[in-house]
Amino acid sequence: MGPSGCGKTTALRLVNRLLEADAGSVRVFGRDVREEDPVGLRRRIGYVIQEGGLFPHWSVANNIEIVPRLLGWTPQRRRARSEELLAMVNLPYGEFAGRSPRELSGGQRQRVGVARALAGDPSLVLMDEPFGALDPIARRALQREFSGWKSRIGKAVLLVTHDLEEAFRLADRVAVMQAGRIRQVGARSEILDRPADDFVREFTAGNLDPGERPSGRGNPRPA
Amino acid sequence: MNYFWERRGEILACTGQHLVLVAVSTAVAVAVGLPLGIWLTRHPRLARPVLGLAGVVQTIPSLALFGFLIPLPLLGGIGARTAIVALIVYALLPILRNTHAGILSVDPAVVEAATGLGLTDFQRLRWVELPLAMPVVLAGVRIATVIAIGLATIAAAIGAGGLGVLIYRGIAIVDNRLIFAGAVPAAILALAADGLLGWLGRRWPGGRAAEGRAPA
Repeated sequence: MGPSGCGKTTALRLVNRLLEADAGSVRVFGRDVREEDPVGLRRRIGYVIQEGGLFPHWSVANNIEIVPRLLGWTPQRRRARSEELLAMVNLPYGEFAGRSPRELSGGQRQRVGVARALAGDPSLVLMDEPFGALDPIARRALQREFSGWKSRIGKAVLLVTHDLEEAFRLADRVAVMQAGRIRQVGARSEILDRPADDFVREFTAGNLDPGERPSGRGNPRPA
Repeated sequence: MNYFWERRGEILACTGQHLVLVAVSTAVAVAVGLPLGIWLTRHPRLARPVLGLAGVVQTIPSLALFGFLIPLPLLGGIGARTAIVALIVYALLPILRNTHAGILSVDPAVVEAATGLGLTDFQRLRWVELPLAMPVVLAGVRIATVIAIGLATIAAAIGAGGLGVLIYRGIAIVDNRLIFAGAVPAAILALAADGLLGWLGRRWPGGRAAEGRAPA
């Protein structure tokens, strides 16, 4: 999490080698990504982007089944997987599987984007502002559901957002970035109660609704 | 009408030659222009000079280009081969430019997603970029075909045959009916090609998207 241009997306894209690091290394589950074949690496890492990036000429089901297809799953297994995932993101298979992405709302497209990222059963999922392009109502709905998905799929999710509320609502651990550097990593309470520096203090203070402030009315959500 | 009917054999023969000139040159232009256009999207620094050069060549008057080609070895000489070479040159630019522009016009988010999900370069091209660029590519083929049909009438000037033969002869003997005997079929060919390729282009995006077909 961090302001625009702080390097969040760049950091994310280093993980699945859409960008290559000039210096240093990126390790995923202990292995340096540069030692892996980028195509194989990406098939093992889910990827969701802000605009969804669904293939507009393919049906919802074909979009979701792309990685399973690349991984050589049988048609039956692919179909079962897309049924399962569409059910999870609350888009009934019978109604939505054959639709074109053009026939979906923005929120529905992002649901399909999430389902597509999970389809190949990756152990890590990257999400770049997955709910950023949605209207506030759709965004809240997906944020609420996200926690359910997260516990159900049991995968590591690396999510980028410029929205502090979203970060605290969705994440177990939040890294605050500025100017290409991570300023602080921690749970919600650590960052709000013990900001590592002035930037973190000001960024968190300026970005939160009154109800979300550390000193605000009780009921701090477990982050 | 009687006049045309009496000459139907000759008109048909010229139309046949004309079609061969156009079909061969357009086919070669597609075979060269499509891969080259794709290649240029992967080498953006070369795109400008190459497209610019193709644009300049396009501005050479066709009659002059036919003339330039005649003395060249292999490519040149009198006859259909020279004409086909010239027609390829003119058909190439629209195909090249539209292929390049069509692929670059694909939504960057879609391309990013395709790469990020682990499609290889070729899979991304074959399954995502080309299908989405196809209406624009087909529009280029359509323009190229119509240009080739028109220019092929001039190919008669260097002995390549085709409907231009009737037109040139009509001019020489000041017989408008003979000019029409060449010009009308050429116009019909151009309209038919334009309509057919336009129909294909319109049919492409909607039809395919609704079916939501994916490679097997």
